[in-house]
Amino acid sequence: MLAFVKCFSLKRTKHPPGYEDPQVLASETPFTVNEIEALHNLFKKLSTSIIDDGLIHKEEFLLALFRNSSMQNLFADRVFYMFDRKRNGVIEFGEFVRSLSIFHPHTPEHEKSSFMFKLYDLHGTGFIERHELKKMVGALLGETDLELSEESIDAIVEQTMVEVDTNKDGKIDEEEWKELVAKNPSILKNMTLPYLKEVTLAFPSFVLDSEVDD
Amino acid sequence: MDKNGIVLMQRYELGRLLGKGTFAKVYHARSLKTGENVAIKVIDKQKVAKVGLIDQIKREISVMRLVRHPNVVFLHEVMASKTKIYFVMEYVKGGELFDKVSKGKLKEDIARKYFQQLIGAIDYCHSRGVYHRDLKPENLLLDENGDLKISDFGLSALRESRKQDGLLHTTCGTPAYVAPEVICKKGYDGDKADVWSCGVVLYVLLAGFLPFHQKNLVEMYRKIKNGEFRCPNWFPPEVKKLLSRILDPNPNSRIKIEKIMENSWFQKGFKKIETPKSPDSNQIESLISDVQAAFALQPMCYNAFDLISSLSQGFDLSGLFEKEERSESMFTTKKEAREIVSKFEEIATSSERFDLKKSNVGVKMEDRREGRKGQLAIDVEIFEVTKSFHMVEFKKSKGDTMEYKEFCDGELKPSLKDIVWKWQGNNNSNNEKLV
Repeated sequence: MLAFVKCFSLKRTKHPPGYEDPQVLASETPFTVNEIEALHNLFKKLSTSIIDDGLIHKEEFLLALFRNSSMQNLFADRVFYMFDRKRNGVIEFGEFVRSLSIFHPHTPEHEKSSFMFKLYDLHGTGFIERHELKKMVGALLGETDLELSEESIDAIVEQTMVEVDTNKDGKIDEEEWKELVAKNPSILKNMTLPYLKEVTLAFPSFVLDSEVDD
Repeated sequence: MDKNGIVLMQRYELGRLLGKGTFAKVYHARSLKTGENVAIKVIDKQKVAKVGLIDQIKREISVMRLVRHPNVVFLHEVMASKTKIYFVMEYVKGGELFDKVSKGKLKEDIARKYFQQLIGAIDYCHSRGVYHRDLKPENLLLDENGDLKISDFGLSALRESRKQDGLLHTTCGTPAYVAPEVICKKGYDGDKADVWSCGVVLYVLLAGFLPFHQKNLVEMYRKIKNGEFRCPNWFPPEVKKLLSRILDPNPNSRIKIEKIMENSWFQKGFKKIETPKSPDSNQIESLISDVQAAFALQPMCYNAFDLISSLSQGFDLSGLFEKEERSESMFTTKKEAREIVSKFEEIATSSERFDLKKSNVGVKMEDRREGRKGQLAIDVEIFEVTKSFHMVEFKKSKGDTMEYKEFCDGELKPSLKDIVWKWQGNNNSNNEKLV
């Protein structure tokens, strides 16, 4: 009888592909089961905003960040790419929670640092190269509507390379990156979202359908 | 049922039962991680769902997030299981304020202190659009220092009376503390209704009994609606006058909370809430800033990565969350560092309100007035990208967020217009407004 009831309730709560059990996710991340249930409410909102299929598409991600689904933005593209661990063009719930967990205030700094390095390593070569850095500075100035001369952009890139590329091979490797972060931890400030600590208060709907046993 | 020793969600160990009502039980509990004492309100989902209150509870949790005040019980977090909702709240040790009154009326100074703390907290909450709507004895607690803590702010859906002992505690359905417009079930304003209830509280503190109390409910309703009450002869004349303005049955002519705070009886010995800070650290800080000011301003340098992490909206995932507006602001400028500093100097001087302190990374503006949560202070940091390209970031370091926002949007940002190249951050509306 119990088995029958269980089977029935499983059928009732049909989840889209990529959904993972909050219990499992909680055991692998700094989140509690309740916090993951609250994140699921956020995920549901994001993943149904354009295509109602329980997966976050690029357009939905851009819509959430910029209120504009056709925004061109290098950094948002890179974040999306990093979240999409399976590289299938969409963010599934499990990927969403695991990636966001890196942004949790309690996550160790080296994990945040390594995530950020990979994000800036645009071509995945294991190095942040000068031309990648220049592309990012250009993209940033474009995004923020700041028009700087070519020389000023070069000056910013050059100054940064001088500061960070300590072995002077024209590219930034992970060791040099770590030294920079150690010297200047505020570079990682985007990698911490204080909101993640109060996600249960921000998305209280989870109290309705929590699956946590009493 | 004894729940002693039960561990909740692997995080809190439940202790003794502190109180119970129709929907909820409140337990003392201790965090396993930090050892911190908390009070946990355990709500039965089914019972609450039956009366259709779930949506209201969700709304109120979101509202409670906005309230952080030393005289309001703080909501740490909300948890849930299949059948229960748990509110994890600050634990207040000293019991109910009215247990004190039931031993006899309070001295004028003591009564005034509680009334000042009550009004200060209510004013703060109202400024954030949070109304209590049902202030009554069981919601006024005392901490171990004898300071007032208002509980259940914003959780009006879950209110219920815990004790029914007649005199000071409201018996169920006895509206001894409730404003006339609430009794009449007309639409009413939360702020005006709260002011009325504060008046009843003040009366009870000084008298030791209720202003409107009648065995006959119909007679009591009539008296409340007509604002018919008498002050005992030991009430000071200023209090009698103030109470007649608070317990005005017409919500529209009833005294406003700002006016109560200007009242001379209220003002006596009134201290605005200050963020705790020892004078020593203040002195050291000003000493340091004097030393630093002796040197020329040397903005910190910003490299490409600083620039990206400060400015890129595409890499700012806080945009995914429904958030309150941030209390920090940023702009880029083509002016030199010393021009930026002199602009802030000019703003501070012309406002006739702020003192300006220079440091080697920027400036600090300090309000001479006391605000809702002490003096407002704003830190301004200047970063150099290139000689003629600086980033300026300012944020509140002390004081009340709403007062800060008012000053920023109303005065600071418009005054900075001629040195700003572009405002940065998600707040695009600022750009439009200021262009």
